Amino acid sequence: METKFLEQFTELLEMEQPVKLNDIFREYENWDSLAYLSVISFVDEEYGIVIPREEFGKMKTVKDIIDFIAANS
Amino acid sequence: MKNPFSLVGKNIVVTGASSGIGRQTAVICSQMGARVVLIARNNERLKETLSLMQSPENHLVYSIDLAELSGIEAAIKEAVEKMGKLHGLVNAAGISTTLPLKLISNDKLDEFFKTNVYSAVLMSRLFTKQAIVSNEGGSVIMFSSVMGIVGETGKTLYSLTKGALISAAKSMALEFASKKIRFNAISPGVVVTPMSQNAVYSQDEESLNKITALHPLGLGMPDDIANACVYLLSDASRWVTGSNLVVDGGYTAR
Repeated sequence: METKFLEQFTELLEMEQPVKLNDIFREYENWDSLAYLSVISFVDEEYGIVIPREEFGKMKTVKDIIDFIAANS
Repeated sequence: MKNPFSLVGKNIVVTGASSGIGRQTAVICSQMGARVVLIARNNERLKETLSLMQSPENHLVYSIDLAELSGIEAAIKEAVEKMGKLHGLVNAAGISTTLPLKLISNDKLDEFFKTNVYSAVLMSRLFTKQAIVSNEGGSVIMFSSVMGIVGETGKTLYSLTKGALISAAKSMALEFASKKIRFNAISPGVVVTPMSQNAVYSQDEESLNKITALHPLGLGMPDDIANACVYLLSDASRWVTGSNLVVDGGYTAR
């Protein structure tokens, strides 16, 4: 799931370089409110999990998102 | 005194009657004297709706997927045999999502158009058949949304389908005016239902406060929309067709 998610995340945010597990996603140049909505919608669509805003606020790295999905699926 | 808003003597079909606005519309129609044909997929939740209705024995329940056209047609024909021709159709079945454009796929477009648009149009086609609709005419309601009139980030897919229903109601209104079959759309703002409670904007307090603030009268309740349906189904609205009744707590007033 990890590898697949990294690929999907890279495509979702239209990153030039593949994203890595320990990337701090809010530091990405193209991180904005639409990117936030895209991630929330994507996780909902793909994994059937809605990440509450408060929970998402605590996440720093891409791995944090993956861990949340793993813990809630 | 004759009450122009009464639904006594009217037979009304409500799709999506298993929850939310569809359920409440079915309940209020029964309280206003109508006999109701309830359609939705989930039999258990349909029965729950029935238990909330006035005189449950007067109504008919069919748990069918609206995509199963032959099943729907057989059910409606059976309903006509049992209760007589129909006077109203409320197309309340529908799905919603918040999805940025980059996540919209061909499959998603198909899914949303099939559920939100095709089923309402095909139900309308069935309802307007001579053997189905009352000789005095009838009233059809398309469930649109404020998202059929204005936009919001991530609402492209939902807006597309809801706008289509407002447009469809106008042309169908003209096509069937001579037969006294009226077509109108209702455009609710955010109403507290299982559908809206599952939405992204309801998942935490901050988002919920934000969406509530966009409605000057606060979020709506299913009753608010069901009451508007009663008006459009009753003879009180006999001169109203092709319109879009906005019931949104002031969302689009800005």
